[in-house]
Order: sequence, then C-alpha cells, then structure tokens
Amino acid sequence: MSAGLKLSDADERFRLRARAWLADNLAGEFADVVGTGGPGREHQAVRRRRQWERRLGASGWIGLGWPKRHGGQDASLLRQVVFHEEYARAGAPARLGHMSEQLVGPTLLTFGTAEQQARFLPGILRGEVLWCQGYSEPDAGSDLAGVRTSAVREGGHYVLSGQKIWTSLADIADWCFVLARTDPDQTRHRGLSYLLVPLDQPGIEIRPIRQITGTSEFNEVFFDGARTAVDNLVGAEGDGWRVAMGTLAFERGVATLGQQIGFERELNAIIATARATGAIDDPALHARIVDAWIGLRVMRYTALHTLSSAGTGPSGSEGSISKLQWANWHRNLGELAVDVTGAAGLVAGGASDELTEEQLLFLYTRADTIYGGTNEIQRNIVAERVLGMPR
Amino acid sequence: MRQYDRNEPPGLSEPTELSEPTEPSEPIERREMRRTVADFLDRHADIRTAMTNADGYDRELWRRGVDELGVSALLVPERCGGLGMSFADGAVLVAEFGRRLVPSPLLDTVVATAVLAACGTDEADWLLTEIATEGLSVAVAFAEPEAGWCADSLASRAASHSAGWTLRGAKEYVAHGATADLLLVPARTTEGELRLYVTRASDAGLRRTSRTALDHTRTLAEIEFTDAVAVRVDGSAGGADSVALLSGLMLTALAVESAAAARSCLSGIVTYLSVRQQFGRALGSFQALKHRCADLAVRVAGAEATAWYATESVGNGAQAATTPELAKVVCADALLRVAAESVQLHGGIGFTFDHDAHLFLKRGKANQLLFGSGQQLRTRVAEAAGLGT
Ligand SMILES: Cc1cc2nc3c(=O)[nH]c(=O)nc-3n(C[C@H](O)[C@H](O)[C@H](O)COP(=O)(O)OP(=O)(O)OC[C@H]3O[C@@H](n4cnc5c(N)ncnc54)[C@H](O)[C@@H]3O)c2cc1C
Repeated sequence: MSAGLKLSDADERFRLRARAWLADNLAGEFADVVGTGGPGREHQAVRRRRQWERRLGASGWIGLGWPKRHGGQDASLLRQVVFHEEYARAGAPARLGHMSEQLVGPTLLTFGTAEQQARFLPGILRGEVLWCQGYSEPDAGSDLAGVRTSAVREGGHYVLSGQKIWTSLADIADWCFVLARTDPDQTRHRGLSYLLVPLDQPGIEIRPIRQITGTSEFNEVFFDGARTAVDNLVGAEGDGWRVAMGTLAFERGVATLGQQIGFERELNAIIATARATGAIDDPALHARIVDAWIGLRVMRYTALHTLSSAGTGPSGSEGSISKLQWANWHRNLGELAVDVTGAAGLVAGGASDELTEEQLLFLYTRADTIYGGTNEIQRNIVAERVLGMPR
Repeated sequence: MRQYDRNEPPGLSEPTELSEPTEPSEPIERREMRRTVADFLDRHADIRTAMTNADGYDRELWRRGVDELGVSALLVPERCGGLGMSFADGAVLVAEFGRRLVPSPLLDTVVATAVLAACGTDEADWLLTEIATEGLSVAVAFAEPEAGWCADSLASRAASHSAGWTLRGAKEYVAHGATADLLLVPARTTEGELRLYVTRASDAGLRRTSRTALDHTRTLAEIEFTDAVAVRVDGSAGGADSVALLSGLMLTALAVESAAAARSCLSGIVTYLSVRQQFGRALGSFQALKHRCADLAVRVAGAEATAWYATESVGNGAQAATTPELAKVVCADALLRVAAESVQLHGGIGFTFDHDAHLFLKRGKANQLLFGSGQQLRTRVAEAAGLGT
C-alpha cells in the first residue's frame, strides 16, 4: 500500500530501521502482545502493554515529531507517517500512550511553561506516564462548552468537584488533563481552564463503564475535593477553551495512513471469511466487498492528497472530512463483517465462548461515529467552516 | 492506531478561529496555468450558445484556445513544435473546462496527443506536428456496438495496403466525433492484433452521424468506416499497450473532469442555499440541508484526491493497473450524486432548462456510462484486486 508516498533513500532507510526494530522486539520478548488492545479490546494485556510503552520510549520511538530540544527526534511528517505504517503493519499492540503522546504532549509543547515541559514531557517520552482526557461530562458532550466541573483556587492548589464521563483508560492512567470551570461567573467557553490532575489521590473515584462490547475501557471520573497544584494550569486561567481546541490541530492525519493498514487487515480477513463461507459468491455481498475495497483506496488517496499539501498543514476542518470518511467506512465494514459470516454471526464463536472478531468489529465500530466529535457535529463543522454555510 | 481520533476534543460547538479552506499545493507554474485558463474561460466561454449551435461546441472558442493557450499543442513534444507539457498539465485544462461544462473537443485532444506522443513513431510525430501547428482537434473513436469499451472485444479491422492502411467497422459514442479533424481509432489487423490508427475525418471512406446526446454539452457521433484511409501510429512493440494507455488516460481524464465538475456543482448548491430565503432565513442555515452538503463535501474531497492520485500515477509502474478505472467510477459517481442533490436543493428552478443543474446531472450520468459503466469497471477493479468470485 505504500505506492504514492514518495520516499527519499534516507526515508526508506528509516522505514527499514523501524521495520527491523519492530520485528526484533515483537518476535522476542513482546511476542505475546502482538495484535492486542484497540477499541473494544483495551482491557487486553494492559500490564504488558505498559511495559511495551516503556520499550518504545527507551528506543526513541515516542515523540518522533517533537523538537530535539524537548527530547523528540524532529522527524518529518513523512517519517511519522512511515513509522505509523510500519507499526500497524507489524501488528504492534494498540498504544496506551496515544493520549499522552498525541494530545497532552503537543499541548504542552505549544502552551506549556518551560517548567511544565521539563516536568511532564520526559515521562511521556519514556512511555512511563499515561494520560487520559477529561473533557466530556454527563451534561456536556457535543456541547462541550457546557462543562460544569469546577476548580476553585485555594492557596497553592485548585480544588476540583464534579464529574467527567466516557474517560477512556482513566482506570489505568496516571494523570488526566481536565477541562474545568475556574470562573463560576462566566458561561460557556469563557471561564474554563485546562488543568493537569494526578489521578492517584483520595478526592478522585474512577468507575469503569461497561460498553456494548461487554468490556470496558471508558470510565466515570468523580472529583470530590481533588487537588492539583496551581503550577499544573496550562495556559492562562480562563483560557482553557483555546488550549483544548489547540490540541485539535496537532498532527492530524499523521496516524491516518497507519490506521488504514489496520483497516486493510480487517478487510482482508473479511474477504477470507467471505471466501470460506461462500458469501463472496452472493452478488450483493460481493458488491459491498468491492465497494469497501474501493473506499479504502479513496481514503488512502485522500490522506496522501492532504499530506501532499501538508506544507500548509491540514486544517482542523479538513480533519472533519477525513473523520466522516473513515468513521462511516469503518462502521459499514463492521456490518459487512457479520454479514459475510452468515447465520454463524448469531452466536459467539471462540473456544472460550467469546465474541468473534467479526462481532467485535460490528460492535466497536459503532463508537467511531461518536467519539472525537460525532458524525453530526463533524457535518456541522464541514458545512459551516469548510463550505461556509450560514449558521 | 485507530485510537488517535477517538480522543480528540469532541465538541466544536462554539465559534473558534475560522480557517480558510486550503487548496492542495500545486507547483507554481501549474497554479498559474490554472488561473490563466480560468480567466480565459470566464471571459470567452458561453456554454449555452456552444451547446445549441449545430457543431455542439464553439469553434471560435477552440480557435482562440489554440492561439492563446495552445490547447492543441500542449502535450505535443517540443520536437514536433508543441509545448511539451505533461499529462498532469493537460489535466489542469481538462479540470477547468470540466468545472464549467464547456462543450469542447479538449479532453479527447489532450488524451490523444498524450498517446501519440508516447507512440514515438515517425507517423505519430508527423501527425503531432500538424495538430500543434494547425490547431486540429482529435476525437477518440473507441467503443463499438458489440464490444462497448472492452478492448479485448474490439472488432474493427485494419487492412494493410502498399500505400498504408484502411479501416472497416463501426464506432459509436465518439465525443465530438462529427466535428473533430482527426480520429484516433483502435482496430485489429488481419492477424487479430490490436493497433492504433489515425484517420482524417474528411476521408471519403467514413460516414459520421451525430446523435442527440443526453448530455447537451458533449455531442456524440456514430462513425461507419468503409475502407477509410488511415496511418498506423503505434510502434512495432505492443499495440495493445498503446490501446491500454489510451483507455487509461481517457478514464483518468474523465475522472479529473468529473471531480472538477462535482466541486463547482457543490459550490453552486452552497451559494444558492446561502442566498435563498424561506421561513425568514437562509435555507442553508437549516441543519438538514447542511448535513447533506457536508456529505457531498466528503464525496467531492475523495473524488478530487482520487483524480489527483490517478493523474500523478500516469506512467508510474507502481500504481495498480486499474487505478484509472477506479478513479472514473469514484469521480463520476460523486458528480452524479452532487448533481442529483443540486436539482433537488434548487427546488423548482432546479427542474428548469434554463438553470445549469440539469447540465451537471446529464454530464454526471454520461460520465458514469462513458468508457465503461460503473458495474463493468468495478468488475475490472475487483478482478485486478483478486476479489473475483
Ligand atoms: C468509545 C468512546 C470513547 C470516548 N473517550 C473519551 C475520552 O477519553 N475523553 C472524553 O472527554 N470523552 C470521550 N468520549 C466522549 C465523546 O466525545 C462523546 O460521547 C461525544 O462527544 C458525544 O457526546 P454525548 O455522548 O454527550 O452525546 P450528545 O452530545 O448528547 O449527542 C447525542 C446525539 O445527538 C447528536 N447531536 C448533538 N448535538 C447536535 C447538534 N448540534 N446537531 C445535530 N446533532 C447533534 C449527536 O451527534 C448524537 O448523535 C468517548 C466516547 C466514546 C463512545
């Protein structure tokens, strides 16, 4: 699938280096984590995947695109893409540190003080400290500006009370970046602040929520007198909305091409199943398989097209187009997966009576069109910001 | 690495800084060329007059295009007195003409000159020189009543004589075939080998019949060859390769044209919905309509990227063999979808002949059918991808 990425010899060597490192490490000590984790399966091999994060960090594969002076590798966008592709191709486990590396890290690089950078970035780069994202609340989902969790300043600390929900991996994370209201007199996106909060403390309770897959990776997080030092405020007090939205623009699209390698693997598995069950001879199912295959190509070309204009950097709004594109494609794939298994899709398939890969795919892809901004919200963004339609 | 997007901030319900939609970065020269062509067409192209005159296109515009833009000389190598540009450069013109649905033999001429330039024979070079200097237009006469666009089944015959070749057979759905100066024709030798030939449209050995086309902006002709004098243009090595190149470039050009037309059709919808008031507000402020436009924007972005990729991949061995087929399917389908929504979202006015919505609708359907239907091309793509049943 690499046709279209124009690589220099040096980039090609980088690819080989990444490939060799992944092969070495996944064949040996970490063979047991291959293919583990990911949406619907985040509960798998957690302890081992934390070790894997450290291994990645120790070898310098975390923060590839970060500046050297902050401990990164200053790798070009292209090399980051190459690494994501190789990572996916090797079947390496789903990253536990993605929110650390791709959300809070870049936020600190842009908005953090020198002290905050010195304190928090090394732990992320070493793969030691895991972060989760505390934005959504029971009454603030799509309409995030409705955040009510409050943070009140008391001496050298902020004291938090309120509730976050749908917080992925909060049950295993060490820290949470929280959007909280520091100014009770302000409404909506004014008066919000971006706070870094340690999770291991008495004022915080974390309760896993069972998902439609039967497993759980997101949680409720209750703050009741939880504390964090005022030094852990990122950006100015009351400027949290801007800081949180800034995260949106970071390195979007870099992961897309790697993600597509996982998609291709899923599609290939579905095609293999369709051959085994004879579903491929059903004209209607065959047509859906071909359309899925074509759709995957179109996503790839779209990502390459965006990358080719990456000199200016893909805008957040273009990210909405890509989100809609892949989320819908993937959700359709989930339906196709069960359809090609036929009636066998009615019952769990594994020896331990677990759901099959196809059933899991069908279930967990329902989340794709919800998290990271629902389809409806993405459509609003595309209509208003990309097409310029009236509000 | 799917988790990446899962954890992006969900809501963007409050206004933040608006960012300008960024155009994909093009080489400077190409961007300038795009602007020049766009200016030229904005000044001189009158689609309505062109599509209703007897020729089905504006000869005056073509003549001007030859003089000011070098439309016929664009892809002709410098050794033949042309501008020596690449297919990707030619695609810029195809897109700009396509965006405005300008009736013109441009697309076929761009493709034909690209194919002739790749032939590298004296015969091809000699024709290219004439095309460039005389400003000739070329039509690609490919489909046949039995074979359609399936190259393997083409049955027109080329017979060798001491003085050259003569052609026999029937071609149909030849775009601007009734008015083009030259015809580029795949036909079989008596040994059954597929080869590329060029005949003069004025030759006494052929008869051209213009058909009333669904798409008013692209006239179609049937051509009956009864021993028409022709030259063979491809070299001794693999005529089938030249025919495959011809087919691939036609599909790619149709993809480029469709994607560009889809983009301008979508802009037309957005403009109309932003201006048209009902219920005391702009229609475009209704979310139901916004969401439909957003879905179209996703389709169009995918189509543009696919057309871009197919264009960039021309002549690049690394691409999958059926990239042009895939591109044409994706882009023509996108155009039809946008155009169909355009008719709907314009209401009554969208159903009138005077409004352009139906021209996009007809171009969309025509582009879906030209050079192989969606079903036929999907089958080809599927087989090449190992998805055969
Ligand atoms: C698997 C998973 C992991 C997640 N991980 C995290 C995480 O780590 N951290 C975090 O902070 N959040 C996380 N989320 C939360 C996610 O961001 C929210 O669920 C999402 O933003 C939607 O908010 P909501 O659930 O409150 O739904 P609502 O906002 O209540 O929406 C309900 C429905 O109404 C629609 N809707 C809402 N507003 C509009 C509108 N203006 N126009 C049209 N339709 C509208 C929505 O599209 C949706 O279909 C996760 C969610 C999932 C499913």
